[in-house]
Amino acid sequence: MSWFMGVDIGSAHSKGVITRDSELVASHIIISGANYRTSAETIRTELVKKVNVTQNDIANTVATGSGADNVCFAGQKASDIVCTARGINKVFPQARTVIDVASQSTRVIRLSEKGIVTNFTVSEKCAAGSGRFIEVIANVLRISLSDFSQLAARSKSPITFSTGCAVFGESEAITRISEGIPKEDIAAGVTKALASTISSLVKKLKLEEPCAICGGGALNVALVKTIETELDTDVLVPPQPQLIAALGAAIIAATPATSQPSKET
Amino acid sequence: MYFAGVDIGSTMTKVLLTDKSGNLLSTIKGPTGPEHRQLANEVMRQALQEASLQIDDISYIVATGYGRLNVPFADRQITELSCHARGVSSLFPNARTAIDIGGQDAKCMKIDKGRLTSFVMNDKCAAGTGRFLEVTATALGIKLADMGEISLKATKKIQISNLCTIFAQQEVVALLSRGEDLENIVAGLHDALASRIAALARRLGIEPDLVLTGGVAKNTGMVKAMKESLGCEILVPEEPLITGALGAAILAKEIYMKAAAAGEALPTRPRRLEKATFFSEEHQ
Repeated sequence: MSWFMGVDIGSAHSKGVITRDSELVASHIIISGANYRTSAETIRTELVKKVNVTQNDIANTVATGSGADNVCFAGQKASDIVCTARGINKVFPQARTVIDVASQSTRVIRLSEKGIVTNFTVSEKCAAGSGRFIEVIANVLRISLSDFSQLAARSKSPITFSTGCAVFGESEAITRISEGIPKEDIAAGVTKALASTISSLVKKLKLEEPCAICGGGALNVALVKTIETELDTDVLVPPQPQLIAALGAAIIAATPATSQPSKET
Repeated sequence: MYFAGVDIGSTMTKVLLTDKSGNLLSTIKGPTGPEHRQLANEVMRQALQEASLQIDDISYIVATGYGRLNVPFADRQITELSCHARGVSSLFPNARTAIDIGGQDAKCMKIDKGRLTSFVMNDKCAAGTGRFLEVTATALGIKLADMGEISLKATKKIQISNLCTIFAQQEVVALLSRGEDLENIVAGLHDALASRIAALARRLGIEPDLVLTGGVAKNTGMVKAMKESLGCEILVPEEPLITGALGAAILAKEIYMKAAAAGEALPTRPRRLEKATFFSEEHQ
């Protein structure tokens, strides 16, 4: 039985997984940094170390993400839309809509019953429509991303951002702090702003239930809850949501070329 | 008889004093900055000092700009669009189009006989405002004021692929570390902003003479890039920051004179140099 690898080089983080028998056996996440090629190498080295095999034991590697071209050892490339769809289909075969909240953009994908991509939409490359909006405001509030969600959840009256731009939002947050507005209300405000941008993207594509969410943004519980409220549906969250595209890539790596779904992007 | 125009922008606060013939007595600019609450009165105090006047000497005060609502000593608030149109036409009587690029928005105005006839503006996205240059200058470790000079040395323009300011910030740093020349990157940034503003202006229709104002007009590289993007000549006032305050002072005089001619008493606010408070009227 062979080992397969999926590597997802994103703009913020690089993710890699090794699968065996279509099951995830190891994963590794690092900050992408300035050199994607080195990041890809690091991922591979760490992954094979974790499962105690050599690079030659990996039967096939598929690369995805905006930096996929830098994964020199990959046997093939696949689009992040297809990889995310395959990854979600593995974890939640019932999912018909997937929201992928990444650092630079948000993607919404519709899946058929067989898990094949039927339609998708990608947000503009605008920080206010991606996880970056929260990163920017977290930085202003001087709190870590991991504490952000809990802080936002404590708010009773989230502020309304008057702007749809992360740069202007940053200034607005600074003004609000100087006015003495509690941090949690600002945190909840940006969560609400992003959730509503994401929800309108989902509505544009028409929501089909069940809906799943992945990408780094899915780690933010407050964001997921707010999206659930906005969409009026329960949203499925995988255990390690940021690994979904890498998992999908590994599954594609293990799929013989002839039996892969034809609908690619 | 003296008049004052106070323009509180997102980046700079400008105060301009004139006498009854419209002669400029003083213009003072100060950064709006994080201490903007205190700046309107501080800048006014300096302007009065320069003109050797007391606040009680000022017959009428018009405030404009994004912070206009809460200047405590202003008698009237007028939108920056009307003030800019007025200020620009007083400097360039043949001006038909004015583009003002500030730190928080960009406005394109059509002017006829000194009056604003139509406008389009962008205050939604930082990438179409001076803020785009501010943020990327910081990322590149250069001064905003030096950007123009730097860009004029460029041998080519590097295309900036990210529209969003936040992502462009990362992109320029990556370009630098990849060994691209700073001047070429800066020229690329100017080009990116100029093409977005030109697209905005085209929605309105461009008629000569075209005047460029606002802090961004002080950037020679940006003026050059705007000329290329718009494909027409551009007039820039000697002091491009003060057209809003100038328009406000001119309108202050007009309002006052009109009321005086009609024998009406104009209500004025107490002439006290108090701290301005922001947002309170607008948001409560």
